[in-house]
Amino acid sequence: MKEFWQRYKRNKGAVVGLVALVLIIIVAVIAPFLFPKSPWEMSGAPFQRPFGEYPLGTDMLGRNILSGIVHGARVSLMVGIVSTFFAVTLGLAFGALAGYFGGIIDDALMRFTEFFQTIPSFVFAIVLVAIFRPSIVSIVAAIAVVSWPPVARLVRGEFLSLRRREFVQAAVVVGESHMKIILGQILPNALSPVIVMASLMIASAILLESALSFLGLGDPNMMSWGYMIGASRSVIRQAWWMSTFPGVAILITVLALNLVGEGLSDAMNPRLARKGRA
Amino acid sequence: MTEPLLSVRDLTIDLPPGSDRPHAVEKVSFDLHENEILCLVGESGSGKSLTAAAVMGLLPQPSVKPSGGELIFEDRDLLKLSEDEWRQYRGKRFGMIFQEPMTALNPVMRVSDQILEVLEAHGEPGGPERVMELLEAVNLPDPERLKSAYPHHLSGGQRQRVMIAMALALRPTILIADEPTTALDVTTQAQILALIRQLQSERQMGVLFITHDFGVVAEIADRVAVMQHGRIVELGAKEQVLEAPMHDYTKRLIEAVPTLDPPERRPLDRAPTVLSVKGLGKTYRTQGGLFRPRRVVTAAKNVTLSIRKGETLGLVGESGSGKTTVGRCIIRLIDSDAGRIDFHGVDLNAFRGRALRPYRKRVQMIFQDPFASLNPRHKVGDIIAAGPIAFGTPKPEAVKRAQDLLGLVGLDPGVIDRYPHEFSGGQRQRIGIARALALQPELLVADEPVSALDVSVQAQVLDLLADIKRRLNLSMLFITHDLRVAAQVCDRVAVMYRGEIVEQGSTGELFRHPTHPYTRSLLDAIPGKHWRAKRA
Repeated sequence: MKEFWQRYKRNKGAVVGLVALVLIIIVAVIAPFLFPKSPWEMSGAPFQRPFGEYPLGTDMLGRNILSGIVHGARVSLMVGIVSTFFAVTLGLAFGALAGYFGGIIDDALMRFTEFFQTIPSFVFAIVLVAIFRPSIVSIVAAIAVVSWPPVARLVRGEFLSLRRREFVQAAVVVGESHMKIILGQILPNALSPVIVMASLMIASAILLESALSFLGLGDPNMMSWGYMIGASRSVIRQAWWMSTFPGVAILITVLALNLVGEGLSDAMNPRLARKGRA
Repeated sequence: MTEPLLSVRDLTIDLPPGSDRPHAVEKVSFDLHENEILCLVGESGSGKSLTAAAVMGLLPQPSVKPSGGELIFEDRDLLKLSEDEWRQYRGKRFGMIFQEPMTALNPVMRVSDQILEVLEAHGEPGGPERVMELLEAVNLPDPERLKSAYPHHLSGGQRQRVMIAMALALRPTILIADEPTTALDVTTQAQILALIRQLQSERQMGVLFITHDFGVVAEIADRVAVMQHGRIVELGAKEQVLEAPMHDYTKRLIEAVPTLDPPERRPLDRAPTVLSVKGLGKTYRTQGGLFRPRRVVTAAKNVTLSIRKGETLGLVGESGSGKTTVGRCIIRLIDSDAGRIDFHGVDLNAFRGRALRPYRKRVQMIFQDPFASLNPRHKVGDIIAAGPIAFGTPKPEAVKRAQDLLGLVGLDPGVIDRYPHEFSGGQRQRIGIARALALQPELLVADEPVSALDVSVQAQVLDLLADIKRRLNLSMLFITHDLRVAAQVCDRVAVMYRGEIVEQGSTGELFRHPTHPYTRSLLDAIPGKHWRAKRA
């Protein structure tokens, strides 16, 4: 673990990303204490410029933009993490079974996976959310459904190569069950690229959620960054701050997650680290 | 004697800080003369390959760099050359052959073009005719046809011949060969060694030959330098080093080389038969595609063998002979297509999946690669205890037993909480043996259990196997390509060639009076056989 941290630290950008991410998480957690009022409530005059009474100004209904961003962080992170969790679980299950058993099982599972991959993911997510009515549950589900196939492909590849390794054969000879070999022998060795991928998937899930909210397909009860941008886009020429600050929030969060993902990748696959070995 | 071609003086090469020793190579001095083959022998980690790399200016700088000494070649110190100046020497004055000809050749380029490229890069005239000459010089069959061949069309030995042709293209004065025959089969190895010998004397080259194998040394060397921990511990003429070694380390190394003279064995005719394989067959079929024909490879055909209680049967053969396939069919890692595998009279081939489990316990396997065969994320104790736990032994008891087993294979029982990467190759192989023994099997299938190990470690592991086998009265199927090892370990030997067993008999009988021509050619090809025959 110490060694892991040593290698992670070598990537300066990843450390910056991690600090930013931790700050965002802290803000999201303590949002109700920072702004006890609902972010949907009016708190002052509409169209107030930033850096005045309200640090980031107010929107066209007089709602505090900073409060919206702070509360929006909760939604964005929650959607990102929960949907990624389900996508990774689904992808792991499909990929592990396909890669381990091979043959017909592999063919069947992979054709099923390809079925999902042939539909452009964003369009597919829109369709799903539109059919099931926009709500936080349907959004999370839609994002998970469109983002698991790459995980399944990755895990399958890892399993295919690990499955032929001698230590797996040794486990077969020693009489371990398939379940035990998949979970105990192969999975721990296949996990590091999945973790890296998951950190990047959280970022893309946040983007997806923002895009859905921007199109008005967000949960109507949840203040989210995408919704804020979408709602204020018609007044962007009079009030740039209404869409800019939520946009910056998205940018920083996604960038932080990408940096962290890169750092994890360097730390977990020291041989592939781009900076070269010492 | 004349001036040396190359004179290495007090060469010291630093390792990056934090390595297990400060210098990879320490104050190494030797001369290489015209028309001689100097062998650098040593075990892995002795610094022999880095010495060769330094002579070629191919050290992985800056992490590993020479910190002292001189490399005198034609009155110049090569260590002071710049990268540009090096290019005048590399290839042109020094040729190099590597261990793995497949990775050293470009897979998407015709071999003749690769040789041509070497010539053109150095502005050498001659063009395609010279390429043909070179291909003929290294005794490649049908050079006309080879012109359009890609590396994957060639066998390992042919690829190594191409490498040699490339190394010789510019008529170098010095040839550096880094384990050039280690990846090859024994019969091919004999041919390549003969070729290097022949070319060396034709061209009066100085050859620096790196190897770990004393058999090869006996076959090819004029002089020998023995390296240990980055130092040359002994340097002298071949006869002197091999027949009357001075240094303790050299003595130990030579002692560890198994002799080809099989020891007397007590007959086991009355012991009950444990395993009897009849007519075993296995054919691999690749699925044909739209534009690809189906490929059918017969890996094993009509294999019949039997093992008695307490007996070791050696299955020897070259790569691709099907010996590993047979081993894996017996252990039921792969399903065979034909024949019976009777274990105590029960045909294992009749079982699939879960029904096999009771037999898993009684037949166990030792794998070849001590690095790949242990899960890097499991602790040693868990690795050994996995089998008993899978068969329902409570965990504390299984761990207790794992500790006893570690003691049995000569490791400290306290290492149970360590991970495999903390152990050396030999120690890992001991862990692998402990894992196989954890289920108290009756039959062990050992697939090249010592071929990845250094010769001194190899001797220790073989001793351990022999000791355990005797104590537990185990039967063993010992798969190996190394006839020296087979001579020492096996009671009986079966020789495989292209999927079939061509000869089978007691070890002594088979080594002294081989009947099949293939067995004879195998025995003839063993490097240094006359050397050990003299000693014995």
